[in-house]
Amino acid sequence: MNEKIGVYVCECGPNIPDRIDIDKVLAEVSVIDGVKTAKKFGLLCSPDGKNFLEEDIKKEELTHAVIAACSPRDHEQTFMTVAVKAGLNPYLTQLVNIREQCAWIYSDKQEATRMAIKSIRAGISRVKHHLSLTKKELEMNPDVLVIGGGVAGVEACLSLAGTGRRIYLVEKAEELGGTVSKLGALIPHQGTAVDLFGEKIDRVRAQDDIEVITGHDVTSARGFLGNFEIEIEPQGDSSEIRNLQVGAVVIATGFGLLSSEHLDTNNGEKNPNIVSALEFESMLAQNAVVGKDGKPPRSVALIHCVGRAELGYCSKVCCLYMIKYAHHLKSMDASTKVTSFYTDLCLPDKSDQAYYDEAVKQGIRFLRSDAPSIQSAEGQVTVEYSTGGGKSASEKFDLVVLAPAMVPGEDTARLADMFNLPLDDTGFFKEIHMMLDPVATPIEGVFVTGCAMGPRNIPETITQSQAAAGKILGSLIPGRKLEPEVKVSEVRADFCTGCQTCLTVCFYAAISFDESRGISVVNEAICRGCGSCVGSCPSGAIRAKHFTYPQIYREVLEILS
Amino acid sequence: MKEKGKPATQDISPKNSFMSASYPAGDGFAKAIRAVLTKALDDQVFEAVMMPLKVPKTEAFAWTLLDDTKLLEHASPLPPVMTIQGGKALSELTKHGELIERTAVLLRPCETRAAVELFKLKQINLENITLISIDCPGAVPLSDYLSDPENQARKFQDLMEENGDEDALRPVCRICDKFSIPAPAEGGMEEGGHAADVHIGFLGQKGKRLLLFPLTEKGRTLVEGLGLKAESPENSWETAVQTMTDARRKNRQAFNKDFLSRISGPDPFSEMFDACINCHNCMRACPICYCQQCYYDSEAIRLPSENYLERAKKRGGLRFPLDTLLFHLGRMSHMVLSCVSCGACEDACPASIPVGQIFSLVGDQTQSSFEYVPGINRLQPLPLQAFREDEFCEVEIPCECGEGQAPSEVNKNA
Amino acid sequence: MPSVLNIKKGVEEGLRLFLESLLREKKVAGVFTLRKTNDEGAAAYTLITDPEHMQQAVPLYPLMPMNAGKALSSHTLGSASEAPLAAIVRPCEMRAFTELIKREQGHRDNLLLISVSCAGVFPLSSLSNGTLSQELPDYWESAQNAEIPAFLRPTCAACEHFLPFQADITVGVLGQKELNKECNLFLNTTKAEEMAEGAPGSITSGELETPEIQAVRKERMAERRKLFEPFTAQDYGLSGLVQTFAPCLSCHGCSTICPICYCTLCDFDSKTHEYQPTSYSIELDQKGGMRIPPGTLFFHTGRMVHMAVSCVNCGMCSDVCPVNIPVATIFSKVGDALAEEFEYVAGRDAEEELPLGTYKADEYSDIGE
Repeated sequence: MNEKIGVYVCECGPNIPDRIDIDKVLAEVSVIDGVKTAKKFGLLCSPDGKNFLEEDIKKEELTHAVIAACSPRDHEQTFMTVAVKAGLNPYLTQLVNIREQCAWIYSDKQEATRMAIKSIRAGISRVKHHLSLTKKELEMNPDVLVIGGGVAGVEACLSLAGTGRRIYLVEKAEELGGTVSKLGALIPHQGTAVDLFGEKIDRVRAQDDIEVITGHDVTSARGFLGNFEIEIEPQGDSSEIRNLQVGAVVIATGFGLLSSEHLDTNNGEKNPNIVSALEFESMLAQNAVVGKDGKPPRSVALIHCVGRAELGYCSKVCCLYMIKYAHHLKSMDASTKVTSFYTDLCLPDKSDQAYYDEAVKQGIRFLRSDAPSIQSAEGQVTVEYSTGGGKSASEKFDLVVLAPAMVPGEDTARLADMFNLPLDDTGFFKEIHMMLDPVATPIEGVFVTGCAMGPRNIPETITQSQAAAGKILGSLIPGRKLEPEVKVSEVRADFCTGCQTCLTVCFYAAISFDESRGISVVNEAICRGCGSCVGSCPSGAIRAKHFTYPQIYREVLEILS
Repeated sequence: MKEKGKPATQDISPKNSFMSASYPAGDGFAKAIRAVLTKALDDQVFEAVMMPLKVPKTEAFAWTLLDDTKLLEHASPLPPVMTIQGGKALSELTKHGELIERTAVLLRPCETRAAVELFKLKQINLENITLISIDCPGAVPLSDYLSDPENQARKFQDLMEENGDEDALRPVCRICDKFSIPAPAEGGMEEGGHAADVHIGFLGQKGKRLLLFPLTEKGRTLVEGLGLKAESPENSWETAVQTMTDARRKNRQAFNKDFLSRISGPDPFSEMFDACINCHNCMRACPICYCQQCYYDSEAIRLPSENYLERAKKRGGLRFPLDTLLFHLGRMSHMVLSCVSCGACEDACPASIPVGQIFSLVGDQTQSSFEYVPGINRLQPLPLQAFREDEFCEVEIPCECGEGQAPSEVNKNA
Repeated sequence: MPSVLNIKKGVEEGLRLFLESLLREKKVAGVFTLRKTNDEGAAAYTLITDPEHMQQAVPLYPLMPMNAGKALSSHTLGSASEAPLAAIVRPCEMRAFTELIKREQGHRDNLLLISVSCAGVFPLSSLSNGTLSQELPDYWESAQNAEIPAFLRPTCAACEHFLPFQADITVGVLGQKELNKECNLFLNTTKAEEMAEGAPGSITSGELETPEIQAVRKERMAERRKLFEPFTAQDYGLSGLVQTFAPCLSCHGCSTICPICYCTLCDFDSKTHEYQPTSYSIELDQKGGMRIPPGTLFFHTGRMVHMAVSCVNCGMCSDVCPVNIPVATIFSKVGDALAEEFEYVAGRDAEEELPLGTYKADEYSDIGE
């Protein structure tokens, strides 16, 4: 009981004295056991206020400080910084909210004052059990691994280049460019992938600080933000494992396409006049758009939304490229009958509606139908479609082009397992928050961008790659050390029996198991202090720093007494 | 990460026939077991055995790890009492790593199930361990045995010979339907899921033979190592087991109903613990209670000195030791989903509180709400560690199975 | 001759009246004593603050559901009670509290310690097997006549320290006449006299050490010798210990319930004593077999080394043992031997220092110079 606690009540301008009798508060709290001084001040967060606080802590030789003021979200950090300046460990302070949680909610002054006193008493009880906590510093590696050399990966590399770090671009194919490089003209610019992205790829190869490693797989990953250890090896050859040490990882492994075998193959034989989008792209590129008879088709059916109903999501980009195909076909031969069958039309961007309207003007038919069925019929393909009201119709076409749904890339599950990343219901990587944090994952330092996360168009992918790069640039600064969160969990070795229940509930993979000692160990660099492990441990062997039982118990006891 | 766990069914009668090998037991059950173990040790089918031995010059039984076959003369494979729960003993043996010697362990079925739960909790390492379970008629209460060992041993022997009085058994034994090989009803057990590696059956055999049922790869190795072939099911055993299972299930249903009415409600429940002295013997005897320091012995629930009087004033009095009921309810919430109804707790209680029956009842009910049967499937994850989306529809936002109610609707009906 | 507060009521009723008056007059904020918890004879120590609840108090009920010294210790662990309290505890419970205070596990200030000239208690099992309710009338008769009834805890039958050391008040029970009509509270300290001012009853004088007390002390000591007889080092020895502790379940109930065992995590429950796989291999190699869990007897002898010098012979350990091992007999035999060796009696004097923590130059001079 040798504490010297200082209690400082901030008037917060007129906010607090209007509703709370501060002098009464000071009178009541100054006689509490352990309180050395209780003072009030006009605006503690002002330069004068902060000076006053710093001087008073030093003058009164305080061991703890309780500040009764606004919300911790506003000024907890402010006052902790003042404490540091005054030579007091910042964690031996407690900010009690008597503004939002007292003055602003009680209309009766007596009640507000009573509650303010209670809250401050609780803060004092709690702070008596605070422990000095020190920030640790960890070395961090500013280098970055980008997995996947498509549009997403290349953009991420370029955004990170020239910032004093090394970037490794690992691509499993022999060439960079990904799926987009297999496409012809890209709408709406109508430039080709090579036109638009060739230059970016050249720049990536030319940058000194980017090392491009093609034909390699990522085979293992260990570590955490600032300290990842990655193993890569040439495709199928484990004898040439190479170790990479990086501080962050960007996963840009792209997507796959739903197989259309059930539609374009009959008894093991591929039907040449039912083609998927990528096949059609290569037909366009080779100027070989033909039907079964080897001649240019007189009628073409474009089937949108293949697999959409079964998978439960829209693949976003197909309507646009189908309209692109329609335009192409018309430009090659205006007499070609082009019909689009769609379940829903997806035209999200500014220029898309106009593009569609133009297609309609050119005589391209757009028919709405649920899942049209396709049947091969002597050199042609019959498409049967619904016309509404339970009725259906059928037409014959020389060529059918299918827009298959985008599906998770073939490496997604393996990488998710490797990096402890969650997948959502559709099997794509899952971002931490769809709206508020779309490129980060629960694993700190690991980002996902582009179609690896779900159907994206190119502008979105570019944006996300730049975003991921931005986040890395802001957190992994060469020369700066990592200051992990202080209020993390810790395992008391003597009480841990190694049941690993905490490991199973840790969302951030921040707990590992030390085989030699048979106990769980918390990685303080990644622990986010959520406390799930503390709740799950049946014996209480794992504790949350700054949220220990005595601290919480004392605070609650005061409130309830 | 999401995981759709396979719900285990409650019906665990051995509908699928199990193949067994026969071993002569004309000279008595214990002798036959000793012969099997001696041969196995001599032929190095395994290198050590852990099983109960009778301590010479006493009526006590002690778990013993041995590789000296001479010690087997004291072997008591199925003692009339449960001393230390076998799952707990096995955990002491392997919690810090796998045993170096290949070891066979003889356990009662409830001890086997406790061992499987402990395995899931990483307190038992089953590498190098061959689990052998045995048909079990039950055990007599420890206090009865201590006051009259000879008589109680005789009563137990009668039960082994299938003409004894089940009234001699502990209450939790009388309602136990998992005294033989547990198995899910449909489709058989998945590979690697069986609780025991080998099961030894003797029910229905009139003391003539033992039946060895290999259930896993390790089990097959053991049986073959003994020069035996498990080729045929044994009808007489299956019938005996089925009959006993049905009878015990009836007992269990009657017990659940009757005992529930005795402890329903806060007052009847807390009155059960009127005589409790908070000695924590029940927790210490329980195989599932593995914590180095029990939460209810830790600083977390210690009341600061200055608050004793304050707490006493709230109700006019404060009972010592503090928080007796909290200890029981808390222990219950921590372990009851893995409770195997072994009754070790009730044997250990110096105040004769029917704590085994209380926990067995609550265990039965809570386990079924998670569709979980502890200890019968090594591959079934512990319910609190496995996330299932289609669970507790009645308190969650309408879930996939479509049977749930929105919380607002639930409140309307409350 | 000490002054005595005499209340013309049965001994338990008189004591209850006195305690109730202390509460009503706010001389104490609470009374720590036994209280009935049901109608089947169960009771538990309770800190009573509401005088109305004193009706359910049974301060002299011959049951010890826990050693009250442990309870007092947990109440005053961090600091002395902030308000005056009265506590009714048996001599061995008081001695245990004193031993705990010496180890910084409690504070005596602000406690009015009331003890009894103790006629002993029933074993815990007597509650469930009906003996307690059956023999209760006999108990009081034996107490009055200073006899040793057969149904007492063995440690009580063999207890020679049945008069409390350093209690503020001693309730006359053992060998006191007309327990159903007279309650005599012996006021041993000034604090006691102050508390007794204005209390119901009248101040007289009296003697605790009656001839009956002296006679029963001799009998108790004879019982003690009889109790310890089978456990001699020569005839009983290590093999005897092995046999006695053969049924031990390693439940550690004895140490959990022992008032002197105060460690938050017993050394024998900690990882220090856990075996590694290699250790099992080595033992198998050397001996061909070993008991699981290992260290059954080691726990007991180790615990003995740690606490036997302060053993107060209360007998809780034997009561709590699920396999009826006479733990208390063995531990108090060793405790007795240590008491003789160090000329120390556990709990006799709060100022007396613990022998193992006190260096005396002229000690064990025959072992090493």
